[in-house]
Amino acid sequence: MLALIRSSGLGPIALCLALWVGGTGTGAETPPVREFSAEIVSRDAGGAIAGAAARLFAMNRKVRIETPEAPSGFFLIDAEAGTVFFVRPAQRVFMDAKQSTRLTQIFVPVDSHDPCRQWRAAAKNAGLSSGGGEWGCERAAPVIAGQGGAIEYHVVSPDRVSSRRWIDPNLEFPVKLQAADGTTMTLEQIRTGSQPADLFAVPLDYRKLDPQALIDRIKRSDVWVEQSQP
Amino acid sequence: MALFTAAFSFSLAAVTVAAAEGNTMDPADAVKTESPIKHVIILIGENRGTDHTFGVYKPRGKGQTISNLLSKGIVNEDGSPGPHFSLATQYLVAPQPLYYVGAPDSAKVAYNNSGQMPQPNTNGAPVAPSASGAPFIPAVLAELAVIDPSPDFGALTDTILTTGFTGLPAGTLDSRIPGAGILPNGPFVLQGANISDDDYTGDMTHRFYQAWQQSDCSIANASKANPTGCLNDLFPFVMATYDLSDNTIPAVQHNFSEGNEMGFYDAEQEQASTLKTLADRFSLSDNFHQSFQGGTGANHFMLGTGDAAFWSDGNGNPITPPASEIANPNPVAGTTNKYTADNNFTNCSDFTQPGVAPIVSYLEALPYGAEPNCAEGHYYMLDNTNPGFLPNGFQAPSPATQNMIPASPVRTIGDALSEKNITWAYFGGSYNDAVVLSNEAVTAGTAATLNSSTALAEAALADPAHALGVAYCQICNPFQYAASIMGNPAQRAAHIKDTVDLLADIKGNTLPSVSFGKPDGLLDGHPSSSKIDLFEAYVQQVLDALEANPKLKAETVVFVTWDEAGGYWDSGFIQPIDYFGDGPRIPMLALSAYSTGGKVNHSYADHVSLLKFIERNWHLHALTDRSRDNLPNPKMRGDHRYVPANMPALSDLFDMFDFDHAVKQPFLE
Repeated sequence: MLALIRSSGLGPIALCLALWVGGTGTGAETPPVREFSAEIVSRDAGGAIAGAAARLFAMNRKVRIETPEAPSGFFLIDAEAGTVFFVRPAQRVFMDAKQSTRLTQIFVPVDSHDPCRQWRAAAKNAGLSSGGGEWGCERAAPVIAGQGGAIEYHVVSPDRVSSRRWIDPNLEFPVKLQAADGTTMTLEQIRTGSQPADLFAVPLDYRKLDPQALIDRIKRSDVWVEQSQP
Repeated sequence: MALFTAAFSFSLAAVTVAAAEGNTMDPADAVKTESPIKHVIILIGENRGTDHTFGVYKPRGKGQTISNLLSKGIVNEDGSPGPHFSLATQYLVAPQPLYYVGAPDSAKVAYNNSGQMPQPNTNGAPVAPSASGAPFIPAVLAELAVIDPSPDFGALTDTILTTGFTGLPAGTLDSRIPGAGILPNGPFVLQGANISDDDYTGDMTHRFYQAWQQSDCSIANASKANPTGCLNDLFPFVMATYDLSDNTIPAVQHNFSEGNEMGFYDAEQEQASTLKTLADRFSLSDNFHQSFQGGTGANHFMLGTGDAAFWSDGNGNPITPPASEIANPNPVAGTTNKYTADNNFTNCSDFTQPGVAPIVSYLEALPYGAEPNCAEGHYYMLDNTNPGFLPNGFQAPSPATQNMIPASPVRTIGDALSEKNITWAYFGGSYNDAVVLSNEAVTAGTAATLNSSTALAEAALADPAHALGVAYCQICNPFQYAASIMGNPAQRAAHIKDTVDLLADIKGNTLPSVSFGKPDGLLDGHPSSSKIDLFEAYVQQVLDALEANPKLKAETVVFVTWDEAGGYWDSGFIQPIDYFGDGPRIPMLALSAYSTGGKVNHSYADHVSLLKFIERNWHLHALTDRSRDNLPNPKMRGDHRYVPANMPALSDLFDMFDFDHAVKQPFLE
């Protein structure tokens, strides 16, 4: 494990990752942990913590993210249903949040043997087209770590943004990202265990906010310019 | 609002921009100016004409007069037809073989007074309130904060964003208007038990060739009082026919504009009361004009450049746009007036191009030198076309297929100010959200393939938290066209901002010397999509901010005007200057300590007069050798005081002020 960390050049992040791996690495025979909570800690390229941590909760294929950048609500990801919502309890509304943040395109449940498939699906759910670019996603070679260790992937998105991502095979979940500029996000303070189901559900009486009516109204104004017909 | 920045950043740190509170030094004070004015704020609403807004208004200043519906006896003070109602008579025209701007007398027939004139239509006005589009359902008013909790919306989250839906089917007779269906031939008041200035009303087409045709200008109609011969008597007719395949009149129109052109508010009966109060206390121009015949984009462009945009290769060289962009207003055979190709660009230097000869011939016949000002080989933007840049500065790679004009080389007032280190900014409502949507559109790939309006709308559907970005008006920002500004990240960051920044700058004593303020599409006052009282609320919010900073207020003038009359009929004199305009009158208010007393200024002016004011105050030259700011100030005739003796001429507005006497008074109470 230490060799892995040193070779990755992770600096201060390494200790966190090492602690996490040590705490959850229970062997390949162990069934995947489907429920846990954690903090998402952001650091700059020098390893200094950048801003307050976000909180993440996972239950099977559902994820809830609470981030200080959106203090008025939280994100709900349902990987099975292919939905991403932002929920605002004070207004009792929720809305599609497909592109509101990259967090919901990255911190999704994955198959540890083929996380690229889920990341592509998340991008598709977010409405991201290829934009002429190609997805690049492949397992790093040589394969790092052994049983219970993090598995590294190199990802290049269609807009040619590259990143390194680490997957925990026991959690079947991404646990670290490193951007090309050296900034990182890691899952820390991971606590496995049962999570309350209501954390992952939109209350039935909440109204869905759909911007289509707003767009329709704007189409009646001079703000809107139609695409020309050839 | 910024729920999230969409840039691919791993930082979770919130980015907060705060006004520089406590900074009492005003850098603009150090810049030498011609007058005591150190700051100009130009607030621009959408689509209201002078008679439409101030048609029934009596000046409060001693000895002041105004040219409007009431003073001409066209209507009475209660808005009913007056003794000279026939001065507003509208006509229909028999089919003609080619496009015309002055209909032959022999072909014109007046509508009768029993409802033959096209009647007002609900057109696109909202039928009912909505959970996410104005007017909003009152019960979900609190949810407005979900869409936009930013200050440019904050003071408005009361009743007026929930009211005013028609309750009538879309595209039908607007029966809220008293007498609708049998209205006589002439203007009608938008007031009654079921309609007021707090109601959404039907829109109408307002495009370049239609507007010229509606003005009905012919030297054969000229008189001493009206030497340019523009009769303004084809307003409903053109709307009823330019898009009408069937040759029957009246009939079902495709665009449903119908008779909406003739509607007006009664300021003496508390309609548009905020604007009236400002006119009562400060100065109003009743001879200020939209600078370009037609619509929003071209008028804002003229406001920023004193010129028209043209299709180029993106490097400043004029080229021919795709055929689908070129206009042909000649009538389709067998129709009364259906335009062959209602498109956006014309090479007006070529007499043989459709639509060109009638306008150029008319200009050549005028008793003064009104040059078309059409450079050889240039296809000019006559109607709304999105800039070649998205709000975030992304440059459309295929403007020809994206219906976006390539990056413009035309020099702007922003360029001139920057060269002299004079601070300036354009503050567009919901701009920050539009930047987020633009970033997302770039990531999604749609920015490179779709028109920017569509690309932002698709991004909004995926990111409702920033959906209000679709309401930011791209074509209203003349600087968004400019390669020198939008193509330069530093320039863009320094000068293109949001309404929230305008309010913060006023509060923090960081207001630039020159500011342009444009509300978003919900608040801009545009018929159908907004209401005049919503624009009033936007203006009031800016004025309230200034009121809270007395030192800044004392050296600031706020000009309140509109982009164009929006197709509303107006009775005022028009001075054609070149191929592009002028057009009908629009209101213009000058609010400062030096322009008080309820005065009405009659000097001939248009949008470019605002450029001339800036240039004179900050000692700048005309922008280019062909821009309209080269025109002299008018010498107004004694016998007909709305007609310059030295046409073409444009006021620099200095005669609206008495810089020797400052009067302290509140904007509003």
